[in-house]
Amino acid sequence: MTWTRERVRGELIELFGQHLQQGASVAESSHLVADLGIDSLGVMEIVAAIEDRFGLNIPDEALREVETVADVAAAIETRLQREGRLQG
Amino acid sequence: MSVALPARTVVQAIEDAAASTKTGYRFIDESTDAEPFFTHGGIERASARYGGALQALGARRGDRVALILPDNADFVFAFLGAIRAGLVPVPIYPPSGLGKLSGYLDNTLHIVAKSGARLLLTNAEIKRMLGTIQAQVPELSRVAAVEGVRSMREELHPAKVKLDDVCFLQFTSGSTSRPKGVVLTHENLAANVRAIMHLGLGVRDSVDSGASWLPLYHDMGLIGFVIAPLYHVNTITFLPPLLFLKRPARWLETISRHRASISFGPNFAYALCVKRIKESEVAGLDLSSWRVAGCGAEPIRAENLRAFADKFAPAGFQEKAFVCCYGMAESTLAISFSKTGAGVTTDAVNGEALWAQGRAIPWAEAHPGPDPGLEGATTIVACGPAFPDHEVQIFALDDETSEHPLGEREVGEIRLRGPSLMSGYFNEPELTRKAFAGGWLKTGDLGYLAAGQVHICGRSKEVIIVNGRNYYPQDLEWETGKVEGVRKGNVIAFGTMKPNQDRERVIICFEASLATEAERAELKGEVRRAVQQALGLTVDDVVLLGIGVLPKTSSGKLQRAKTRELYETGALLGRTSAREVDPVAVAKELARSQIGYFRHAILGTKKDD
Repeated sequence: MTWTRERVRGELIELFGQHLQQGASVAESSHLVADLGIDSLGVMEIVAAIEDRFGLNIPDEALREVETVADVAAAIETRLQREGRLQG
Repeated sequence: MSVALPARTVVQAIEDAAASTKTGYRFIDESTDAEPFFTHGGIERASARYGGALQALGARRGDRVALILPDNADFVFAFLGAIRAGLVPVPIYPPSGLGKLSGYLDNTLHIVAKSGARLLLTNAEIKRMLGTIQAQVPELSRVAAVEGVRSMREELHPAKVKLDDVCFLQFTSGSTSRPKGVVLTHENLAANVRAIMHLGLGVRDSVDSGASWLPLYHDMGLIGFVIAPLYHVNTITFLPPLLFLKRPARWLETISRHRASISFGPNFAYALCVKRIKESEVAGLDLSSWRVAGCGAEPIRAENLRAFADKFAPAGFQEKAFVCCYGMAESTLAISFSKTGAGVTTDAVNGEALWAQGRAIPWAEAHPGPDPGLEGATTIVACGPAFPDHEVQIFALDDETSEHPLGEREVGEIRLRGPSLMSGYFNEPELTRKAFAGGWLKTGDLGYLAAGQVHICGRSKEVIIVNGRNYYPQDLEWETGKVEGVRKGNVIAFGTMKPNQDRERVIICFEASLATEAERAELKGEVRRAVQQALGLTVDDVVLLGIGVLPKTSSGKLQRAKTRELYETGALLGRTSAREVDPVAVAKELARSQIGYFRHAILGTKKDD
């Protein structure tokens, strides 16, 4: 399945929303650990959801370069692009 | 009666097991889906290569070698190889989670420095991340990347290792500024392995097999699943810890596929399986081979284990497989296990008497009658009796000589004696002295004995345990104190099980003098961000208090337990809102007063102060 950047970001914000406590607001600039309070367990749960949703494999090392929701989107887009599944 | 075989060193155990061609260690690698299998002979050869490489890199007998190796196979071979080379490995946990946690680097630096490690072996990526660590730790003469070691073919010069030699240093997750290295000898390990495998679980040599996702830098994973199975020649399948956290089903699938009979996890692991594994995934599992489902390393909640048993009963899981375990690094690993095949047994007691009188009065005794029910009772999980040759007794917290053990069902500090106990903390004579009282190790846990079984009901140490990991309030308080606007030295962090008793909540209280609600909200947000970023845990509540509100002793020391109590009863928050009535005047008044806390309690009730 092919994705656009806009759809990746929309999907991602929705996915984060599902995994956070009610009332938490998610923006692309949200810092995952500091702002959203996602701990190591929560991170891995979200990674699993991302892998399933986008059909990707996110290696553990990649997580260390990720700090914000936008970083996550970029990591997904890079991998989709590599596989020729990103438009634009 | 058990047959006492002569104790062996870990080195001897590796060599003895090497003759086995059917058993060994399997390492699941997520990225390749491969499951390389090393027979016990293969483990002997691979560990010799890694040990030879460490010697070639300049490590000499007795040198500490720090290991930060996320790959399980690398870790096992480097750890065992170091021991065979006569080195003292120091396992350190690799970075996990997101971004670069400043707390991680600090902690690593402290452990490397405290252990006096001369060599650090890690992977290329973490080596880059550690950057200039050598400049900060003068004794560390080399940081090597494991990628190079894998292909080295240097011959091992085996060291003559005796039972009373130090085997490795096990750093406990103490407060960042004071990590403590538990010194374990081969004798300690042989004694505890015998207790776990032979006396506790009745492990059948070469027959029982295990599966483990447990981190190998922690005692339960390292001693329980790397060292102990060497002595009993058991096959073990290892999963990366992060793979389990990402997809908990992989743990149970591994047990199912490889017909494992023994696997352990902390309480949270069982709860995570209940929460995250889908019904469709349960359908494909066969857990009927699982004879020992050990639970330890954090407080055990019987209802979590029962929920697990219910959910996985259709897959053949038997509730009687649960073994409730009590242990700590200072006692090598295990202190006591509940009886195999008996499942979870709990003791229902009167909760009020437990804390008010320090007595565990059976609920049935306090509520006579044909069917008293358990509504209102506090249930405590039974963790079995002390192992043979080992002693567990309860003492009053202030019993400095351990001469007067408390009686049956009296609550006090759990203390230990026996051959599994560490000789001390590495290069910490003062901390070592404080850890013992009259020859007994003080565990810092509160509990009681009933019919010889250990029951744990709390902790006298103020460690916060979240998802099996220990956090120290001092570290949270330190990070909070660094935030601009927070009154330095006036911060208290603690964990609380209130209000729902379902999990430990992390609370931070601090003082600051700010007038507007917007400023207060912003500072609270900054504190939350700073602590979460540094330590990688979720902060549940941040409480901003006026000057002088946090309870202090007459000598001005902050009272953490008192603050927790005020928070739990809601009294602390009451003070906060009262505080907002006239912040400036009250703050000035309170700051001048040594007994500001009490005065505030009184003033706070009047609106027109």
